[in-house]
Amino acid sequence: MSLSHNNSKAKWAVALGILGAFIGALAFISGIAVGVAFARPGGLLDAGASPFAASPSIAANSAAVNDTAAEQGRQSGLNYALINDVLRRLRTQWYGEMPSSAQLTDGAIKGMVAALGDEFTQYIEPRFARLLNEDISGVFEGIGATLRQISSGGVQIVRVFPGTPAERGGVLPGDIIEAVNGVSTQGLNSIEVAALVRGPRGSEVTLTLRRAGRARPFEITLVRERIEIPLVSSKMVGDGSIGYISLFDFSQPASRQLEKHLKDILDKQPSALIFDLRDNPGGLLSQAQEVGDIFLKQGVLVIERDYRGNKKVTRTTDRGIAQDIRMVVLVNGGSASAAEIVAGAMQDRGRAVLIGEKTFGKGSVQSPQTLPNGGQLRITIERWYTPNDRAIHGVGITPDYIVNSTPEDLREGKDLQLEAAIDFLTTGKTPPPTPFPTLEPTPRP
Amino acid sequence: MSRLEKGLAAIAFALWSVLLVGMGYAGHMVLAPAEAHTIRVQGDHSLPLLDEAWGHVRAHFIGTLPSDTLRNYGAVRGALTTLNDPYTTFIDPQQRAVERDHMRGQFGGIGVSFRQNERGEIVLTPTPDGPAAKAGVRDGDILFSVDGEALPAAAELEVVSRIRGQVGTPVTIEVLRGPERQRLRFTIVRQMIEISSVTWRTITSTSAGRLFTIGYLKIASFTERTGAEVQRAVSSLLEAGAQAFLIDLRDNGGGSLSAAVEAASTFLKDGVVAFEVRRAQPETEHRTRSVPVKVEESQPVVILVNNNTASAAEVMAAALRDHQRGQLVGVKTFGKGSVQLIFELSDGSAVRVTAAKWLTPARHTLDDAGLTPDIEVTGTPAEQEARAVEVLRTAIADRALK
Repeated sequence: MSLSHNNSKAKWAVALGILGAFIGALAFISGIAVGVAFARPGGLLDAGASPFAASPSIAANSAAVNDTAAEQGRQSGLNYALINDVLRRLRTQWYGEMPSSAQLTDGAIKGMVAALGDEFTQYIEPRFARLLNEDISGVFEGIGATLRQISSGGVQIVRVFPGTPAERGGVLPGDIIEAVNGVSTQGLNSIEVAALVRGPRGSEVTLTLRRAGRARPFEITLVRERIEIPLVSSKMVGDGSIGYISLFDFSQPASRQLEKHLKDILDKQPSALIFDLRDNPGGLLSQAQEVGDIFLKQGVLVIERDYRGNKKVTRTTDRGIAQDIRMVVLVNGGSASAAEIVAGAMQDRGRAVLIGEKTFGKGSVQSPQTLPNGGQLRITIERWYTPNDRAIHGVGITPDYIVNSTPEDLREGKDLQLEAAIDFLTTGKTPPPTPFPTLEPTPRP
Repeated sequence: MSRLEKGLAAIAFALWSVLLVGMGYAGHMVLAPAEAHTIRVQGDHSLPLLDEAWGHVRAHFIGTLPSDTLRNYGAVRGALTTLNDPYTTFIDPQQRAVERDHMRGQFGGIGVSFRQNERGEIVLTPTPDGPAAKAGVRDGDILFSVDGEALPAAAELEVVSRIRGQVGTPVTIEVLRGPERQRLRFTIVRQMIEISSVTWRTITSTSAGRLFTIGYLKIASFTERTGAEVQRAVSSLLEAGAQAFLIDLRDNGGGSLSAAVEAASTFLKDGVVAFEVRRAQPETEHRTRSVPVKVEESQPVVILVNNNTASAAEVMAAALRDHQRGQLVGVKTFGKGSVQLIFELSDGSAVRVTAAKWLTPARHTLDDAGLTPDIEVTGTPAEQEARAVEVLRTAIADRALK
């Protein structure tokens, strides 16, 4: 999946290929954009913004890794005697109705994959894989929330976007989804639950939610909409001398829109720049590269290592419009994948000071494989490392200055991380904000 | 029972608490002869899909692959989750061994209990006069290795299964002692360690010049030995002059159905203890058994229950109540009305399968609705016990008036 920009067709194919690799990124296993619709023109762009859209095309694109799997499987040493013994006991003794063979098989594959201990390698049951495939037709309506899988099992709402059906209906971050339209989420992963939640605009979806502090699960019925969340927002902050620009994700139009906003800001001749990558779940590697190009001179952006032990280095070029201005990058636990690549590169190369909280630690690429039953296996095939060869996956990027933020702060309209960044850029000092957050230097590797 | 074994038993029990009533089916528990490897679910062509899926994983996954064993266990666990039955579960060999010891009520061990300190180290306490104490292990020694293998972090179950073994076989442990953390090595021969599930004492009081003697017996769980232990406890209490019995089933998470039937038989003249209903099969009755010691019907009985009284313990409590043999005092019980069978598999692992529902003698089911006590007492354990004693004293006095 090398990057190539030779012609538009190649770009299309590459974009789709990389998309596949990045499904987990937007979906960032723990944070799937449910119906966060990216209603921008251009079918490919829409598809690009969808966590789910690209799967079928990817299968063709990832043919390179689609080799002799079936043959290898035959020597896989699976203990059929044990599995069949259990199934036979169930068939003769279990009190309830036996699930179909197909369901048992789906469960067994999920259980096997779970034994890998990699939450990003996932199996999607055929019924959901089909739903994901439908998404390529360009239907990206939903409720405006992101999901994540929690370790105790179950799928949780992480983020609710303002002005969306989820927010108006009273869905709160932290709610656990027990059922969608009466279908239990037991045993389902976040991608599968997201597929259930999404659907055409105007249609109803009923969520059964469990919430801390409430004894029983309750239902909320929402009408799905086309969700639009601005990809980039910008403003002048501080005393008006600092430019602020935030990027929502790394979908296809990210670098173009970022550059447009940035030009407007640079026209105002700011003394410094704050680049906000908080809650940015990532997206396309090609976009990470283009965004990196804007701020970084020539050099290493990211190192990829694949399952064969191959190492590939992706570099930035020297054509950016903001390569010298002083910068702070804001990050938090919702910054993942492509966002971590950019933040990690800017930190390693001394281009910016990072302020905020430790990032998510999603530095891997999943390749989707469609099985004969229509189910989809997403296997982690690559891991990413920063230019200084620090692992991103499972580790995250630790900012230079840690400033915590609580949901209460945000509800009260306080943004302590942004304040700390402004303070740092204007006074050069890093006064510890009070009372709750801490601001302390962390060692640079 | 010693503190030491209590520690081990508590761990076993924690695992066990989910387990239902099913171990009475000795016949079923025996490992079925391994049939040919060609067994297939009827009409099933999908198992090769597992191979194909794993082939992809093996070819492309960037991380370390789990062992074949772990992957097979994962597949079995995954298949079981599709049943949506929290009580039908897979048990790996290590966990199974600890459970089996617990159900048998005895195992080969060295007589030592342990706890974890704040550093996550395993701190030992030897049972007085047990094999470990005789070998020189002291209270406060920190376990360092078992048979030459250093301990994995925070793995109590692992420790239990490594220390236990065949009676008569040696196990070598290394411990760290004192502030200097001096490393000492002991080789100890395992002996039979028994876990008792029943403890008993008398509760006596005088009122208006009358002496009341209540026999108190606490059943912690239902193991293969519980029936016999109840017999021994009751005969001792009768010898001590017990006029009434207080059966404490609080925090008893269950165990063997057969043991519950046997324990109930000590207090019931005859009749059904529980009905068992299987899918597409006629129901079966579990009737009282003939046991050497029977408590006279004229002797009042009260059963203490709480929200952790589950499964086999609910069977016993419900049987005594339905036969109007005793009142329930405490809070509503857990409500687990299914029976699991345990099947041991060829490699020492096991699968626990919900095979039946059980009904009380009055044909009540228990799922999702525990037993509501006749006298609800929500206070402290001591308050619950005091109330039960009061009920029994009144009953003894009433009986004397007749």
